[in-house]
Amino acid sequence: MKFIYKTLLLSLFTGLVFSSCDDFVEDVDIVDPTAEDGEDYLPVEFLTSVYGMHTDFSYAFSYLGITDMISDNSDKGSSPTDSGADKRVLDELTFTSSSGSVTAMWTQWYKTVGRASQAIDIAQNYEGQTQVPGSRVIGEAKFLRALNYFWLVRSFGAIPIQEVDLVERAPVEEVYAYIEQDLVDAIDALPIKSDYATEDLGRATKGAAQGLLAKVYLYQERWQDAADMANNVITSNQYSLDPDYANIWRETGENGPGSLFEIQARGEIPQHGVQQYSQTQGARGTGGWGWGFNSPSQNLEDAFNAAGDDIRRDATIIFAGETLFDGREVNAGVENPRYNEKAYSSSNAGQGDGDKNIRVLRYAEVLLIRAEALNELGQTSAALAPLNQVRTRVSLPAVTSTDQATVRQAIWTERRLELAMEHDRWFDLIRTGQAQAAMAADGKTFVTGKHELFPIPNNQLVQTPEMAQNPGY
Amino acid sequence: MKLKITFLLFLSLVTFAVTAQETKTVTGTILDTRDVPLPGAEVKVVDKDNYAVTDFDGNFSLDVVVGDQIRVTYLGFEAQTFSITNDATYSIVLQDASSELEEVIVVGYGNQKKADITGAIVSVDSEEITKQPATSALTSVQGKVAGVNIIANDAPGSTPTVLMRGLGTAEGGRSPLYIVDGQPLSDITSINPNDIESIDFLKGASYANIYGIRAANGVILITTKRGKQGKAVFSFESYYGAKTILNPVKMANAAQYTQYFNEESAANGGFLLQENQRYDTDWYDELLQTGTINNNSFSVSGADENIDYFLSYNLYQEKGILEGQQYNRGTIRSNNTYHLFNDRLRFVQNLNVAYTNETPKPFGAFSTAYRQSPLVPVRYDNGLFGQSFVNQTTGVVDFNTQPGETLGRLNSHGNPVSQVYYQDQQINTTSLQGQIAAELDITDDLMLTTRFGATKYYATSKSFTDIRSQWLNADPNRTEAFFDAQRVPNEDGVVSTEYANNSYTIRRTESYRWNIESFLTYDKSFDKHNLSATVGISRENYQGGEFTSSQAYDVEADPNLRNFNLRTSQLFNDNVDGDTYQSTNLQSYFGRVEYNYDQRYYVRAVLRRDGTSDFATGDNNFFGYFPAVSLGWTMTNEAFMEDNGVLDNLKFFAGWGKLGNQAIPFNVQSINAGSGSRNTNYVFGPTQSLIVGAALGTPAIPLSWEVTEEFEAGFDFALFNRKLSGTIDYYNRLNTNAILNVRPLLNSEFSSNFFDEAAEISNSGFEFLLNWRDQIGSDFNYNIGVNLSTNKNRVQNVRPAYDGAIGGSLGNGRITKRLAEGQPIFAWWMYEADGVWQTQEEIDNNTSLGSAAPGHLRYVDQNDDGVIDDRDKKYFGSYIPTYNYGINLGANYKNFDLSVSGFGVGGNKVYNGLYSTRLGGENISEEIFNKRWTGPGSTNVNPGADRDVEASSYYLEDGSYFRINNITVGYTLPEISSFVSSARVYVTLQNPFMFTDYSGFTPELNQNGDPTNTTGIELSAYPNTRSFIVGANFKL
Repeated sequence: MKFIYKTLLLSLFTGLVFSSCDDFVEDVDIVDPTAEDGEDYLPVEFLTSVYGMHTDFSYAFSYLGITDMISDNSDKGSSPTDSGADKRVLDELTFTSSSGSVTAMWTQWYKTVGRASQAIDIAQNYEGQTQVPGSRVIGEAKFLRALNYFWLVRSFGAIPIQEVDLVERAPVEEVYAYIEQDLVDAIDALPIKSDYATEDLGRATKGAAQGLLAKVYLYQERWQDAADMANNVITSNQYSLDPDYANIWRETGENGPGSLFEIQARGEIPQHGVQQYSQTQGARGTGGWGWGFNSPSQNLEDAFNAAGDDIRRDATIIFAGETLFDGREVNAGVENPRYNEKAYSSSNAGQGDGDKNIRVLRYAEVLLIRAEALNELGQTSAALAPLNQVRTRVSLPAVTSTDQATVRQAIWTERRLELAMEHDRWFDLIRTGQAQAAMAADGKTFVTGKHELFPIPNNQLVQTPEMAQNPGY
Repeated sequence: MKLKITFLLFLSLVTFAVTAQETKTVTGTILDTRDVPLPGAEVKVVDKDNYAVTDFDGNFSLDVVVGDQIRVTYLGFEAQTFSITNDATYSIVLQDASSELEEVIVVGYGNQKKADITGAIVSVDSEEITKQPATSALTSVQGKVAGVNIIANDAPGSTPTVLMRGLGTAEGGRSPLYIVDGQPLSDITSINPNDIESIDFLKGASYANIYGIRAANGVILITTKRGKQGKAVFSFESYYGAKTILNPVKMANAAQYTQYFNEESAANGGFLLQENQRYDTDWYDELLQTGTINNNSFSVSGADENIDYFLSYNLYQEKGILEGQQYNRGTIRSNNTYHLFNDRLRFVQNLNVAYTNETPKPFGAFSTAYRQSPLVPVRYDNGLFGQSFVNQTTGVVDFNTQPGETLGRLNSHGNPVSQVYYQDQQINTTSLQGQIAAELDITDDLMLTTRFGATKYYATSKSFTDIRSQWLNADPNRTEAFFDAQRVPNEDGVVSTEYANNSYTIRRTESYRWNIESFLTYDKSFDKHNLSATVGISRENYQGGEFTSSQAYDVEADPNLRNFNLRTSQLFNDNVDGDTYQSTNLQSYFGRVEYNYDQRYYVRAVLRRDGTSDFATGDNNFFGYFPAVSLGWTMTNEAFMEDNGVLDNLKFFAGWGKLGNQAIPFNVQSINAGSGSRNTNYVFGPTQSLIVGAALGTPAIPLSWEVTEEFEAGFDFALFNRKLSGTIDYYNRLNTNAILNVRPLLNSEFSSNFFDEAAEISNSGFEFLLNWRDQIGSDFNYNIGVNLSTNKNRVQNVRPAYDGAIGGSLGNGRITKRLAEGQPIFAWWMYEADGVWQTQEEIDNNTSLGSAAPGHLRYVDQNDDGVIDDRDKKYFGSYIPTYNYGINLGANYKNFDLSVSGFGVGGNKVYNGLYSTRLGGENISEEIFNKRWTGPGSTNVNPGADRDVEASSYYLEDGSYFRINNITVGYTLPEISSFVSSARVYVTLQNPFMFTDYSGFTPELNQNGDPTNTTGIELSAYPNTRSFIVGANFKL
């Protein structure tokens, strides 16, 4: 009897313990790993981080390698023994698909595209109240996305459109069409420069989108569209040439009258600039302040001298032993004879966060785009006006020839000298078919059919073997 | 102390007098169940030194007194005891080898007779475990269980890694589930090996699956000892041992180092060393000492009809081979069972208390000792520790310079002796583990079991860093005055903690777990049908806990005065840190049906339903089902096999089951945002104000537990009167949704890695287990056990673009492993070395790395594109052995016993990271010095003193080894006195020999077993040690 009683008690105890079974795991108040989502942030904050992508170190090192050092405008610099990772092989045109700089910029541009798409998506789906109109956020993000796709397509040719497929390489025309659509949308959505509030200085404007679209047309040799779009910028009356060419790259010249778009940077606390942009290109060695990379070439100096272009030469190149505008005496014993003055910061010469804004698109280039497009359309004499506007500023005599070929060469030379060290030369050489000759003149071997495009990075192909490599790599 | 207790017991027991009786001679025959006489059987009077051995006809004759207990033993048969009556002749029938087949195996929520098992389960008993003294019982069974790869670590107090049937996960938890007396535990470091009765390894899915969501890495069931019916047994066990390094590497001496350094320097345009230097330090000599181990155990156990009891105490003390390194562990165990109501109700109580006390020393000292130059003294004349300073102008290794001379360093490494000297840490842990259970026989066939178990763990770590002394010793040119001058607050009122006299950190960790379970077991046999069924429910809570850590600066240096309240200054702020770990709830339901017909045809089905609170990612994602089935056929129980004369047992089995691994990493959705200079922020406006932005991190993809499916088939057999027995089986397990750490595509929108179910990982192989035992004459018997298991590990069906995760970082920017389709998990991946560049001309005319120079290794341009880059890296197999084997020998001759065991692995490769990761100026082994390239034509295999830092196949070596891990010779003392029931003394050599071609310290490079990490790479591994142990056991 006693035993049965105890048996019942034990069974009862067992039963009690397990009542409400599945709740034991289902009703646990756990820290949900997905808890942090975007709801606490405004669309404009996601937009800010798209701009922010342009301040990464890649723009201070890898970017220099694949835009300037590779060209005839500049050399690797630094010390002869310093390979600068892959900078020496870029300079020598012996880079491969494993070159870090190529990989870095491919990745940087695509990640920026990704952030822009996220910002667009978030802005489109945002239901809360915001001070900044969603359309403007989307417009700015589309401008930035177009800019990065443009950099990608002119570097790699046919590329996957991230929003469509990560493996299949869309033909160049499709990529350009995609860029154009983004820019058309941006032009519609964005205010002109003077309609922005002062605290918004630095944001993408309608003019910036038009200027970029003109350049995008130029690359496709759609001359009429390029000429028209450049003219839209010119007739907007938002821009003019800074009378002092050298001033453009000084602190006083930031966001000046000729600025369509530039990467914003601040060197004092609370600081945030393009990481080490001035430092990597600062003079190296005794009395120097930087790493000494991206040293303007003898070839470039000769080109300035041949054109009698002292103003732009001296604004572009820091010579060893010279005294700079701000009074800094450059030691004659620095390692390289020339350094990039357009990257020089008076206040933050050798600092990680400098105040140097990178000029991405200037009014002078818009004028040169219009000149080139008109000349190609056969309107050579009309082309002379915008061309000479650029030359006059730097006290060079006007071009008077009406021979299309002569003017074409004059415009190309003008682009080289006006935009030297502004990360455009290499692509101009390829676009205009001058690359092989120019490289030969600079003592390098340009392989036609290969070097027009950079290789798809090996690390990308390792993960997506189905993606085809560019020819020659 | 122990001696005293023994003496007291001796005194109390000696008072029992024995009265003499009249002796007579009896005779008899020993037969088996088929009435066949058994020659050579031992017939012994219990507790007396009086025995006989049966002759060829099974007959014996023995002098006895009435009332004597006679014990008959014969190998392969159940021992039997009978009493001497007034009869003069006796006929004894021994039961056939029942000891083996009647043996009961713990299978989780119940037991099964070994004869009825239809799967690959290996059981190891206490004798096997205690034969090989170690802190962890698993170390003792290394090499004894086919298919269970136990990788030991000889560091004091360390836990071996256990891999059952291969590594089946890349990112998830790898450790098996430990169940101690039914209670789940995360490891068994707190359990004294002497307290263990048996360890059962549930290798196959059809058995392990009863533990569902945590069984994918195998289940290890541990049963602790309980009192056995009879009088109280007092048992003492002591051993003492000395440990030294097993496989030392001879390093270059001062002259060799100087020559090597100068060759390297000459190639790089560096400074040269003078030839005759003052010091020639052998760092390993300075660093290593002979370790000692000292173990003492005591237990008392027994049982009567109402209670059985087992109480034990153990103290293990070890001094490591590094100065000051200590590990002490004490354990107390009390296991009692109360039998009530004529044993229809049983209460079981287990309690284990373990405390440890440890002073660890940095293993990094091993690699520093390898690398530091012999020219550096342990200490300078002024008493400060030697550092790698060198006067570059004179080439003398010293810290003194004259004006105009340059002071430099030979290398970037420190002083290993000072590393050990300055680590001042003490760790104390306490682990309390208890369980109560009730077993109730509701009817004769139906039993209810209910258990509650809980574990609580406390750990305290106290570490003291003598910042001032380390700062001064790091550079002998530093002064106390300079240090003191820095201890002044700056304009913000802050002093850098770099200039605190010392820091003191106390870190406390607490964790807990509990489980409660209840199940009904039904057992019934009718006619030839045998049925057993189990149904139950369990609930667990684990992984809960918290830690707090406090750090203060400038405390009293005296160990007794280290207290946050007694400070020598108030210049520094304290740091406090802490966290709470969320516990996991696990709810399970399980059922099992076992049926056999006449012990011939077996069928068995198991179903477990598991739910865990960790996976709250969807509505239906809490629970999963884990089924298993197995079949068996014992052919030898068929009528046609009876009396076949050869085969004693032949049983075929096959099983299939599903297992889970819920110890998987989680994805966490994050938003990248923050103030300051970072790429989510930007400056706008004329004053360029910093605007803070935000970016989405990689999204949290919901994950579920990994599911492994396994098929196994095999057979157990016994031949020749069970002299030869064994098991041969095949297994094939597949992790169907292995979680990988995925690198986002370069052209995708996300930047950070994320986890996703992205591949399958398969492990397959064969396992062989063979045992032979025999008796020659009456005085000699022996056994030989051999086991072998093979393993083929493959990553397969990787989702497109999801492989390519890299691992095996050498810490110098080079990696050595990569995860890829069709390869073992994280296979070796590196350049293929092919010779040495002899001349610059050769380099210029061939494809080379940019930095190539004569004396460097040359690498194969696999794709012939004229460039050496990542695409030229090749897969070179894995650190995971493709086969493991073990050999165990045992022999008894009269009172002597001998056992030898060894094990080995093969088919694996290990990376000599000590050799490879040089930055310049490090020491090298004498072997490297002797075979190096010294100029064109000297060698086309080994690089010169000047070489690059790339990871290549040159440093990848055959990792196979064979290690004799135990040789024990014991002697059982003849009866000393009537109250000592047994006494044995023994001598053990642990790891006396290792056979390997590997050039480093040890090819057993498990580290923490993480495949993505340095497993298989020797960087600063604890070397294998060799021990000499003497010990004694007494039973009273």
